[in-house]
Amino acid sequence: MITFAGVSKSFRPSGGGRPNHVLRDVSFRVPQGCLYGLIGPGASGKSVLLKLIVGLIKPSAGHIEVDGQDVVTSSELELQRMRLKIGMLFQNNALFDHLTVAENIAFPLRRLTTLSDDAIKLRVDERLAHVAMTGFDERMPSGLSGGQKKRIGVARATIAEASIVLYDEPAAGLDPVTSQKIFELLREEQHAAQATVVMVSSDLDRLLTVTDRVGMMYRGQLIFDGTTREAQESLEPRVKQFIHGLTEGPL
Amino acid sequence: MTPTLARPNASSPHEPELEPLEHAYEPLGFVGSLGAAGIDLIVGARELYSVFVRTLHYVVRGRREKGAVIRQMYEIGNRSFLFLSITMGFIGMILVYQAGLQAKRIVPDFTLLGATFLELLVRDFAASLGALMLATRVGAGIAAEIGSMVVTEQIDALRMCAADPIDFLIKPRFLASIVMTLVLVVCAGAISFVAGGLTANIAFDVPLRTFFNHELVDFGDMAIGLTKCLAYGAAIPIVSGYCGLSTFGGSEGVGWATTRAVVNTSLAIIILNFFISGAGFLVFPG
Repeated sequence: MITFAGVSKSFRPSGGGRPNHVLRDVSFRVPQGCLYGLIGPGASGKSVLLKLIVGLIKPSAGHIEVDGQDVVTSSELELQRMRLKIGMLFQNNALFDHLTVAENIAFPLRRLTTLSDDAIKLRVDERLAHVAMTGFDERMPSGLSGGQKKRIGVARATIAEASIVLYDEPAAGLDPVTSQKIFELLREEQHAAQATVVMVSSDLDRLLTVTDRVGMMYRGQLIFDGTTREAQESLEPRVKQFIHGLTEGPL
Repeated sequence: MTPTLARPNASSPHEPELEPLEHAYEPLGFVGSLGAAGIDLIVGARELYSVFVRTLHYVVRGRREKGAVIRQMYEIGNRSFLFLSITMGFIGMILVYQAGLQAKRIVPDFTLLGATFLELLVRDFAASLGALMLATRVGAGIAAEIGSMVVTEQIDALRMCAADPIDFLIKPRFLASIVMTLVLVVCAGAISFVAGGLTANIAFDVPLRTFFNHELVDFGDMAIGLTKCLAYGAAIPIVSGYCGLSTFGGSEGVGWATTRAVVNTSLAIIILNFFISGAGFLVFPG
């Protein structure tokens, strides 16, 4: 379970100036095994929120708990242990340029487990097959298309069988068919592992077909938190406008 | 579960009552800017020190990545050898020619031209000039590579896999740089000396046997030169790695980090040179 209580985050521009308030007083809870969709216009704080969950950045105020562990007060060593059970797909995929596809996927296992090379190779082959990328193991990331990079990113995020998985724009820049395949793949993964998933995506048509609950961010605040159906039926003007893609409204 | 609205009291559905975000930079006055720059400098120095201490920690207790140091030795060493050899060769020729011209005016005696040039090379010039050349090539490369990893979230991905960027990226470069700076400086210094000898022979008819004279080089010169090599070899990856890790923004940020790395590493080399030379004159006078 992931719990946010009154979380705020500001960044101080280098060279002075007023702080940039990226998150303001955000409170919500993602229950165990839930697929939570996080939506909102650009620069509303969604990616920052994901990084706060795993402790890659610290909040300016508030309290964050992941499976009972206080992320804010944990040391870097404690956070490293916590991250053993968290997989993450980054917005830019964040594949390591100097490693092959197989080495990229195996990286979390090599760092986080004591599995033998043979066991790791088996697991990598299985993941590659699962994301329909068999035979790409020796390719370098620079030789892959956007969709292929996403698939490798998904394989790496899920290889350690994490109980919590975070996806930041898993379908950004992909064609509709590939996007649909990626979302179906992520849903299958979540069902199989019974993982808690937080997914940030601008592709609402597809996102809302797989989520259990939805939160909407707007200018650093969480303005909606409810089930997917409630989000679709919401009369809150900003939520309604964003979900239905209306040009008229407060956004 | 029922949906919850974080701002249920919004007065009008079309005018959400949110405070405006302060995205814009507010111009500071002169004193404010000076204060902000001072704070940034102190914070930067503290973070740089932290990178250095953590690198030393991981050298002793970090995880051994197979082939990582060798790979970096190749990157730093092999790929810099030609560049360093050519620049140091030309610097050797220029220095000997200029020194010869001055000597010719005052005491037209070239018997100690080679010996004094060698002493100068061993004690200072080979290490300092070689390291400045390395700072431009290696320092910029390290900062650009790590900086682009920051902006493409690869550093975050490393941290997600319990890999500290200092351990995974900076430590192998630190070890490789210390070894290869020493090797490169010795090779480039030798090339510089030979090039200087040839120049002296052609321009001032100094016999090569007279020029290649190591009488003036003693243990103190060697110790100071060696200390400088080690210090510069350590400083280049630490300073440029720190500049890379503190990258922000996109490609513009990477460019800025690269520039900062070259400037700060060069500055670090000159400051280290001052202190090591000072300490050297106290420990090994004359």
